Amino acid sequence: MRFALFPGCTISDRLPFIEKSIRMIAPHFNIELIDLPFTCCPEPNSVRSFSDKTWLTMGARNLALAEEAGVNIMTACAGCFESLSMSKHVLDSKPSEKEEVNKVLKKIGKEYKGQVEVRHIQQVLYEDIGIEEIQRNVQYPINYRAVIHPGCHTLRPQKILNLDDAEAPMKLDELVRAIGMESLDYMDKVMCCGAGVRGINREIAFGVLREKMDSMMMVDPEVAVVFCPTCFISFEAGQKVVNRMFDKKYNLPVYYYTEILAAAMGLEGVESILSEHRVKFSALGMLVAKNEPEIENATPH
Amino acid sequence: MERTTDADRINEIQHSAQPCFQCGICAASCPIFRVAPDFNPRMAVDEVLRTGTVAMTGREWFCAYCLMCEERCPMEVALSEILIDIKNLSANDGKVPPSIIEMMDVIRFTGKVSHASKRTEKKRRELGLPELPKPDVDEVQTIFEMTGALDRLMRFREAEVEPE
Amino acid sequence: MTTSDSVSDAGTGVEPKVEAAESEIRIGVFPCKCGKNIGAVVDIDTVAEYAKTLPGVVHVQVNTYTCADPGQKEIQEAIREHNLNRIIVASCSPTMHEDTFRKTVKGAGLNPYLCIMANIREHVSWVHQQDPEGATTKAKELVAMAVAKATSLVPQPELDVPVTPSALVVGAGVAGMQASLDLADMGYKVYLIEKEPTIGGIMAILDKVFPQNDCSICILGPKMVDVIQHPNIKVISMAEVDEVSGYVGNFSVRVRQRARYVDPDACTACAECIEVCPVDIPSRVDQNLTWKKAIYIPFPQAVPSSYVIDPEACLGMDLLRCGKCYEKCEQHAVIPEDEDKIIEFEVGVIIIATGFEPADPKKIPRLGWGRYPNVITSLEFERLINAAGPTEGKLVRPSDITKPKSVAIVQCVGSRDIHTRMGCSNFCCAESVKCALLIKEHYPETEVVIYYQDLRMHGKYFEDQYHKAREEGIKFIRGRVGEIQEYPHTKNLRISVEDTTHNELLLVDFDMVILSMGAEGVAGNVPLPISVTQDKFYIESHPKLRPVDTSSAGVFICGGAESPKDIRDSVIQASAAAGRASIILQRGRYPIEALSARIQQDICSRCGTCVKRCPYGAIIQDGTGRYTVMGALCQACGTCAGDCPKDAIVMPNFTNEQIFAQIETALKENPEEKIVAFACAFCSYRGSDLAGVSRMQYPTNARVIRAMCSGRYSVKFAQRAFELGAGSVLYSGCHLPADCHFQTGNHWMAKREPRIRNWMKRKGINDERFRIEWVSAGEGKKWQQIMTDMSEIAMKHADEIRKKRTAKSKGKTKGGKQAKSKRSPKTQGTKKGKKKTTKTKRKKED
Ligand SMILES: Cc1cc2nc3c(=O)[nH]c(=O)nc-3n(C[C@H](O)[C@H](O)[C@H](O)COP(=O)(O)OP(=O)(O)OC[C@H]3O[C@@H](n4cnc5c(N)ncnc54)[C@H](O)[C@@H]3O)c2cc1C
Ligand code: SF4
Ligand code: SF4
Ligand code: SF4
Ligand code: SF4
Repeated sequence: MRFALFPGCTISDRLPFIEKSIRMIAPHFNIELIDLPFTCCPEPNSVRSFSDKTWLTMGARNLALAEEAGVNIMTACAGCFESLSMSKHVLDSKPSEKEEVNKVLKKIGKEYKGQVEVRHIQQVLYEDIGIEEIQRNVQYPINYRAVIHPGCHTLRPQKILNLDDAEAPMKLDELVRAIGMESLDYMDKVMCCGAGVRGINREIAFGVLREKMDSMMMVDPEVAVVFCPTCFISFEAGQKVVNRMFDKKYNLPVYYYTEILAAAMGLEGVESILSEHRVKFSALGMLVAKNEPEIENATPH
Repeated sequence: MERTTDADRINEIQHSAQPCFQCGICAASCPIFRVAPDFNPRMAVDEVLRTGTVAMTGREWFCAYCLMCEERCPMEVALSEILIDIKNLSANDGKVPPSIIEMMDVIRFTGKVSHASKRTEKKRRELGLPELPKPDVDEVQTIFEMTGALDRLMRFREAEVEPE
Repeated sequence: MTTSDSVSDAGTGVEPKVEAAESEIRIGVFPCKCGKNIGAVVDIDTVAEYAKTLPGVVHVQVNTYTCADPGQKEIQEAIREHNLNRIIVASCSPTMHEDTFRKTVKGAGLNPYLCIMANIREHVSWVHQQDPEGATTKAKELVAMAVAKATSLVPQPELDVPVTPSALVVGAGVAGMQASLDLADMGYKVYLIEKEPTIGGIMAILDKVFPQNDCSICILGPKMVDVIQHPNIKVISMAEVDEVSGYVGNFSVRVRQRARYVDPDACTACAECIEVCPVDIPSRVDQNLTWKKAIYIPFPQAVPSSYVIDPEACLGMDLLRCGKCYEKCEQHAVIPEDEDKIIEFEVGVIIIATGFEPADPKKIPRLGWGRYPNVITSLEFERLINAAGPTEGKLVRPSDITKPKSVAIVQCVGSRDIHTRMGCSNFCCAESVKCALLIKEHYPETEVVIYYQDLRMHGKYFEDQYHKAREEGIKFIRGRVGEIQEYPHTKNLRISVEDTTHNELLLVDFDMVILSMGAEGVAGNVPLPISVTQDKFYIESHPKLRPVDTSSAGVFICGGAESPKDIRDSVIQASAAAGRASIILQRGRYPIEALSARIQQDICSRCGTCVKRCPYGAIIQDGTGRYTVMGALCQACGTCAGDCPKDAIVMPNFTNEQIFAQIETALKENPEEKIVAFACAFCSYRGSDLAGVSRMQYPTNARVIRAMCSGRYSVKFAQRAFELGAGSVLYSGCHLPADCHFQTGNHWMAKREPRIRNWMKRKGINDERFRIEWVSAGEGKKWQQIMTDMSEIAMKHADEIRKKRTAKSKGKTKGGKQAKSKRSPKTQGTKKGKKKTTKTKRKKED
């Protein structure tokens, strides 16, 4: 399997340890990754809202790059996944838009033809590699109580993204179960984390996050698992803001899925990844350091 | 693209709002409405239907583009898209939240939304991550020029401001 | 529908025999003045003189009012006196008087189908009032076209078939039961087929029924007994229809009855067997809320009152594996060797009453049914509150068997949503109010809130219910529930909904939520060629005027199978369907469409195209591979003939030969100026008549050829017209998608367009000279516009031809002058003229 990795600005420039975890696990599943001079996807909400033509054309440029290289795109960020999939959907379903966009691309020596596919890494793991293969690679099952957050832009619009059931998603649950975790059902599982308006109105953004996390905390999770860097930041850094703003006491470790997958696979160098987290999970750190499951006294601190 | 003028865009918004029968499922599903009672997506559609025009109150920017409303609308009203359209109209009017202008500027000069700081660059090296190929910023400039983003930026502020 | 040998024999038995044309064609033409209606514009005497010169015409007689008694008598006398064998009445529209004159000639001993009409009123005098000369020319040509057609008319037999005095009713819900009882009481034998082990349908498992909230089984139970005890009704339960063949009056039905393993006549429903049966399975009647045994009775009042064994759950009725019930039953009612049975019988009519299914809550995952135990459907509620249900009538939460203190009722689940079903389900609003009242009645302290989008309490007594509900303190909030979430520990539910009246989000907690389920259609699960809507309900013959008839003669629909409805409406419809069906049964014979299609076996290449075209399933293939038309099913639309690649199908009175003769005659003079317009009898032709009745003026160059349905217009008609130089050609039909009187003829006609256009391209014929239009019977104005536009196109074409001719004959001065004198039929049909006439008309109205 060969993909152009589309890490997205947030991962490559702010959360490189997530990128590291992806590059760590990839060879074990025969995933070959190449790097292309991608721009921002661009960001699906703000850029598209500011100028949808710009959004579409930049998206088309990214798609065209992969097309030129003859590979499909694997995104690591839900936002990039939605943005590129939507661009592709618009371009493929509206010939007049495609024509306009290609006029601009021609100026920079590119053309979007419509041959490239956009996948999210969750799809690659779940659909192409499969739960069984993942289980086979797990050396040190991590059996914590997890809440998962699939993320708006992997789920909706379901008709176009087609990654999981938009109302009752189960695939990320299955993936965390594959590495030994218990996936807890909780209220507001498909609700947004509020990231989309963080730059516009902090009260609203963190108010949404508070609602979401209140629901998560009802089931006493030990960790949260996400598959999107933006959601990662929302929960990881955001919970501290929520604590200040709304007088809460959240202390929930948050992981991007491939980080804990790498840990469960016992891959070398995992400590360097996990040490970047703001909310640390000592038990997991210990586990990784010793390379042996030590789950009895696991407590988030 | 097809919608060359604001009028076209308004027409299109009206057209796509028409099937709405004001059931309120969108509002009941909107995470923003849950914490900001003055942002009601149903009312955004209702306003279009009632007045025949699109009011740009600035509240349209509150939409997080989570697509919950659109996913559930029983009439398949593309509400998130309508809100994107309304925001584009505001942007054309120069009514844009500063954070977005900032973001657009960063993209314009780097191709990315969050340009790597010295610290992350160091971190990447430490982690043994490859240096990522840099996008050609001229290409981004060209796209900004040809797709109207530059105009909108200019309209927002007369003088060009370099980021940082 | 398929057929057996005996049926195809019956089919061919009624096929009209083509009588050899008489040695001499003797045509009588009867031009009518219609008082001044025609006479003031058309010079009738000129028309008459002209008619005399036409081949085959031996008698011409002008009349002032041909349709009046003396006029009709004159026709009859002329037939006898001059030995006429083809009659043409040149007067008003055939829509108006074709039947009249057919009866007239029949009175004189002539086959009625040998009489046709030339429409010189609606198509001539009324629409060309300012151009008597052009009108007279057109009238002459219309008569000539009719004469040309009449030459090849042949007598058509008027046949009818005997009717078997019995009925098949499929589905034994309240509708099927009512229809059966009505027919049986009239004295007809009824076969009532039900797929479940008991009759009764949905109503049998409801607790109370709105609007009076009386006990459902108390009113239905006695009716169920009436049905099973009626000497004229044979109830066949656990059965489905396998095959239906034949046609109205003579359907052969084959039914497959599943093995019951208990003899219903011997079983006394003593319930001894369930004491010993070791197997528990979820009870379907109780919506899987409780258990039943592998040997069970659906509910105590079931009819037939007999147990039944679920063979999939049963361990084995032999003593080795289990056989406990067999041993226990003192009546020896358990029959381990029972088998599926095939039952065959003949009926004259069929009533479909297969009802609907409650919508599937799994299709709306945002409401959590299936994931959250305390979210239940309205049908589950009916069982919970029912004294005979799993909790003996105690309302409890499935999660912990406690009594809920607060209940939300969520409306429009599965209805009014593109993702499930667009339609309103009609009964759920009243159903919700009923549920709310039932809860209040049993547990007045419970808080009950109904979340609705539009409360549609439209039926008789419904508003009283609503009023009562308000008095009982039931809350109504306008807003459709967006989602339901479950609290992880208490299993309480949080609904989120916008109170749209106050523009306010409500996140409200409830102990229990009832989803008011809509309906899901099941139509199509009976092997009959009746069209169904997208959401699987049967399509009626006419939504207003023939609501319980279907497109297949002798097949009727009623109850939930037709559309979601309540019990009262189902019963009303059931009686209506029985009434309609009894008309056929009571007459004893059923007339067959005389003009039905006929396949010429020596030409037919057995391609089977016609079978796909026929909307009535009238064409069947017999054992030898021959395709034949079942006369009794054919409605004579001619869609099959329109696409038959071999022209093997004869449509009497609308044969290719006759239509070609009309085209050729129409184009004898100045073809390049003519519009050859094809119009279907039920929409477009009536639209053109309306233009006449409304005196909408247009140019005189159109020659209309009538067919039963636009599906008849084959590609060849346009080709022939263009080959003969027609200026423009129009194919006009009923509006797409659903207006076609013959259901799909217009679709098939539209599909031929590319073939015609490609052919035109190859021949270098300008694209604009051919048009397809959809004109309804109410669109006279549109007809006028089309005629005006197409006339311009024809005249433009004629101009080009003239120019070419003059270019060719350059130097010779002769042709030019002649061409000039032939310029356009001078009418007021130009745009200016049209405006004028509409203005004057408006003045008149003022
Ligand atoms: C939850 C609920 C509550 C309701 N409450 C009320 C109420 O209070 N008052 C009221 O007026 N109405 C009520 N209704 C509506 C009422 O149920 C219907 O109006 C009524 O059942 C329609 O009767 P029917 O005979 O047409 O269809 P059904 O009752 O659906 O009967 C159809 C029968 O046909 C059988 N069948 C289906 N397909 C085949 C086949 N291929 N071969 C053989 N048999 C077949 C089925 O097994 C069934 O027995 C309610 C409906 C629901 C779902
Ligand atoms: S969900 Fe759709 S139909 Fe309902 S109010 Fe919102 S936009 Fe209108
Ligand atoms: S897309 Fe915007 S309006 Fe729609 S539910 Fe999400 S935040 Fe609300
Ligand atoms: S034979 Fe079958 S039905 Fe009878 S008791 Fe045994 S399991 Fe039950
Ligand atoms: S297509 Fe029309 S004319 Fe042909 S057999 Fe069927 S009903 Fe008769």
